[in-house]
Amino acid sequence: MTQFIIRRLLLALPTLIGASFLVFWSIRLVPGDPALALAGELATPEYIAQVREKLGLDQPILIQYANYIGNVLQGDMGRSVRSGIPVLEEIQIRLPRTLLLASISLIVSSVFGIAIGVTSATKPNSWFDGGSMIFALLGVSMPIFWLGLMLMIFFSVLLPQWFGLPGPVLPPTGSGTWQHLVMPVIALAANSMALQARMTRACMLEVLQQDYIRTARAKGQQERLVIYRHGLRNALLPIVTVLGLQFGTLLGGAVLTETVFAWPGIGRLLVDAIAFRDYPIVQGAVLVIATGFVLTNLFVDILYAYLDPRIRYA
Amino acid sequence: MATLTRTTKKLYDRPVQRSRTYTWLKRLLRKPTAIVGLLIVLAFLVIALTAPWISPHNYDLADFTNARRGPSAVYPLGNDELGRDMLSRLFHGARISLTLGLTSVAIGLLIGVPLGILSGYFGGTLNLLIMSAVDIMLAFPSILLAIMLVAFLGPSLQNAMLAIGILSIPVYTRLVRSSTLTTKEELFIEAARALGASHLTILWRHILPNVLAPVIVQSTLQMAVAIQAAAALGFLGLGAPPDVPEWGNMLQKGRTYIFSAPHIVLYPGLATMLVVFGFSLLGDGLRDVLDPRLNRD
Amino acid sequence: MKQRTFALLIVTVLLASFLVMGPAAAQSDTLTIASGTDIENLNIHIVTSSPSFSVLEHIYEPLFSMSPEGELEPLLAESIEATSDTTYRITLKEGISFTDGTPLNAEAVKANLDWVLDEANGAPFRFLLVVNGEPAEVAVVDEYTLEITTAAPFAPLPAHLSHGALGIISPALLEQGADAMASNAVGTGPYVLESWSRAEEVVLKRNPDYWGEAPAIETLVFKVVQEDGARIVEIEAGTVDVAVRVPPAEIPRLEANPNIDVVVTPGLRTIYVFFNVNNEPFDDVRVRQAVNYAVDTQAIVDNLFEGAALVSTAPFAPPIFGYAEQQPYERDVERARQLLAEAGVEEGTTVVLYHPTGRYVQDALVADAIRAQLAEVGLNVELRTLEWTQYVPHVRRPMEEGNDVQFAMLGWSTPTMDADYALFALFHSSEVPPGFNGSFYSNPEVDRLLEEARSTLDPEARKAAYSEAISIIWEEAPWLFLYSEIQVTAIRNNVSGFIVHPDESLIATFAEKN
Repeated sequence: MTQFIIRRLLLALPTLIGASFLVFWSIRLVPGDPALALAGELATPEYIAQVREKLGLDQPILIQYANYIGNVLQGDMGRSVRSGIPVLEEIQIRLPRTLLLASISLIVSSVFGIAIGVTSATKPNSWFDGGSMIFALLGVSMPIFWLGLMLMIFFSVLLPQWFGLPGPVLPPTGSGTWQHLVMPVIALAANSMALQARMTRACMLEVLQQDYIRTARAKGQQERLVIYRHGLRNALLPIVTVLGLQFGTLLGGAVLTETVFAWPGIGRLLVDAIAFRDYPIVQGAVLVIATGFVLTNLFVDILYAYLDPRIRYA
Repeated sequence: MATLTRTTKKLYDRPVQRSRTYTWLKRLLRKPTAIVGLLIVLAFLVIALTAPWISPHNYDLADFTNARRGPSAVYPLGNDELGRDMLSRLFHGARISLTLGLTSVAIGLLIGVPLGILSGYFGGTLNLLIMSAVDIMLAFPSILLAIMLVAFLGPSLQNAMLAIGILSIPVYTRLVRSSTLTTKEELFIEAARALGASHLTILWRHILPNVLAPVIVQSTLQMAVAIQAAAALGFLGLGAPPDVPEWGNMLQKGRTYIFSAPHIVLYPGLATMLVVFGFSLLGDGLRDVLDPRLNRD
Repeated sequence: MKQRTFALLIVTVLLASFLVMGPAAAQSDTLTIASGTDIENLNIHIVTSSPSFSVLEHIYEPLFSMSPEGELEPLLAESIEATSDTTYRITLKEGISFTDGTPLNAEAVKANLDWVLDEANGAPFRFLLVVNGEPAEVAVVDEYTLEITTAAPFAPLPAHLSHGALGIISPALLEQGADAMASNAVGTGPYVLESWSRAEEVVLKRNPDYWGEAPAIETLVFKVVQEDGARIVEIEAGTVDVAVRVPPAEIPRLEANPNIDVVVTPGLRTIYVFFNVNNEPFDDVRVRQAVNYAVDTQAIVDNLFEGAALVSTAPFAPPIFGYAEQQPYERDVERARQLLAEAGVEEGTTVVLYHPTGRYVQDALVADAIRAQLAEVGLNVELRTLEWTQYVPHVRRPMEEGNDVQFAMLGWSTPTMDADYALFALFHSSEVPPGFNGSFYSNPEVDRLLEEARSTLDPEARKAAYSEAISIIWEEAPWLFLYSEIQVTAIRNNVSGFIVHPDESLIATFAEKN
């Protein structure tokens, strides 16, 4: 098992390096002088010179990248052009908020997604099955931000109107109380939930065809036990993989959801930074999110190998 | 010897394609979900292509006495914040979405498919290089890469198309590579090699047609992805300039009036959802028809 | 089956709790203000946005304060007098301390002003103390007296000293450097910093040792509510007491609400479209006037802003010292066409209008409206927009760099409430790009008048000079004069004494809540 972990870690390393190189290099896409882009238009000539020195623009690009990574690993990702506060600090404050949102969404989407998927698989081609799959497809097609806006209208305007309430049922934006979490979680989870339902259904259907299911039934096992102990547990493996990948996608979807609901996480930091042309933050935020994504995938791979020993020797 | 090669070549040149398409279509039309998807996609295409002629009003005409009015007899879907007709803007937005989708998918196709074929066929270092690049691109969750590219390049329709196109490349590469790997093992490939066919001939004549099926399926699904991504970029203000009636743009501008004039936000989102839904249904149906054993990556 | 009923029960309970739980009632010793953006950081010498100043000016105080009516009032300083043409002597109030115990004295003020003047610190408002390219010199005379000497006579200096960016920070904190100042706040003001939760809210608590009259409200919460629509929902629900930047479309609805007062305050920002007088067709004054006659600013104000904007009657807003009302260019399509014909501009000529997007309220919308209106006089307008950071360098380029801009929209705010700031940088011939005079306007008479007005210390003489300069500018129309912004703020009617300043800062120090 340890050998497998080490192997996977080593494989993930080039990907991380490649991705970080892409993020590092992309700043050169900005028209004009990258030092100016990273320093901000209002910067003093001294500060621009400082930035330029740190970038080392006259050195070969690989050395520049080495410098950049060296700095990042020491915690120096530059300073926000807008607030002057170190990028790492800005990210540190906001990342936990996004993780909170993403985690709860993951739990919600998994619980409901798996439940719907299992029920659909046990009643294939029924009204429930067909209906839920259509809904799932709709859920995947819906733009997250549009769903968010619709939820806002529903909970903050329509519901109070219908019931004659003095104020919104749920606060439309912001954070601070658990009520602020509800709508963003629904919006973020919807997409995942739909995907999870479809994936679970597909996996379960395959598993339920297997011989050992028929044997269990023939042995007279309770249907519920058959489905859960024999069926779901075996289907769980691919479902878990998807779960892990979902977390990464949730991180990406958080960008849109946080913008709609003004949730003060790293996604909104990124979007605001883009609007302000705060390139150090854009670079830092993308790097952090991408790294998180790679690490999550790595973790899921290892988990998968742990659950299914056959994988370790593949 | 020459006669032998020509005869053998003729055997391979049998036009198999045409009858295969016919069978696909027939099987496709037997699935109700696929029919719905096909209808939606066709409607979308028709609207996008005929938008200038079927729009009831000039989509760009601002009449601010009508600003933010809800649906009425003259303006069936209401007016936006400048008093422009929402329905006409939606129609023209379809054009933009179509262009965006087609261009991005084309970029992904034209670069991803050859890369995938080369990677799968030749293997070795080339494969390693290409797949490493693919892995790097896939290290970024969903549209984050597109957001970053457009943020640095500067928001514009072209940059959005480019960024989404780049996003599509790894999808195609991976898909085509696995198809190529499977096809490579087939007997007729060995036979062609034995007959002295060059790599290029094999790639063009034998491998390519066989990876076509999954590529078609993926392209349909990729259209859905591209249109959704375009709307997301537009919503974040990273797409076309604001006066362009792109659906994501319209959602972004309508946000301010979400509580007083929700129709500005309702319809573009609904349209996006429907179109994405349609392409997804069609893609699913095509996949079931073309190769039920096809595994999604 | 049991599982299902249980789930149903949970859902019902949750739903019920939603409906029963109303919005949290705001306490009467806490005032919650919903602002559109977060503060940039806590260093008042570095920030540039009005939300930042709004918050920080409750903690830090400048030497003087500018009343909403444009009157300079003593704050940390007792008095100011001109001891010579180029020197001002300032006397500070005695017995004031910062919240860390450091006394407020002339040394402390000098340390702050010198910090701003130090180019290495990159203070964006350094120019407030720079005259003719020379930084002012600050000298300590005795413990509570200091002198500021400028390179040339500079009448606006007292007004400049009322700007928030020159608020006085405790010298002890100043010494600790920019990083410390960005995350800590030690001032003399009526409130102290309790907490700053990034992108969420800033909480201020009443300063128990405040030297002046203690504010009535104990706690101030500046809550970040980015979405326009969300701010409206919150003010209607009463979860916030004040909501800034109300979208014009919502005004009628809020006015109808008995619990809300909609407060309209004239702002200091003028939105205009400048013509590059070096490029065709706007090198001809008739064409420029024609555009002014063609665009119906009143309609824009009425329909796009629901009346929440002021049609420009001068190149800057009325509250500013030196304002002289001119006759606005009323819509006259015939006159416009006639002038265009005289100038030889053919029907259907294409002109390119640059405009920013999302920088000013409804900027893109207004540009679109202008386009529609100019079409009616035969001008075909092509709209072009750029991201803000690229926009300004592009539309205000020196001619040598290939400036082919015809006309472009911009805004200009005058935080000092003095006409010099509003006119000199924009209309003096020495300020052409890379300066702020994007239209390359050059009129020797106007130059002379502006120079005279800034060096004379007599207010009446200044006003006369400005009046003359403005009427010349108005006639020569280097701009399409549009409108000046009006701030629309929604305040719950149980709050009194809350001030919305024309310079966009919010003052809660004198507020009370029932």
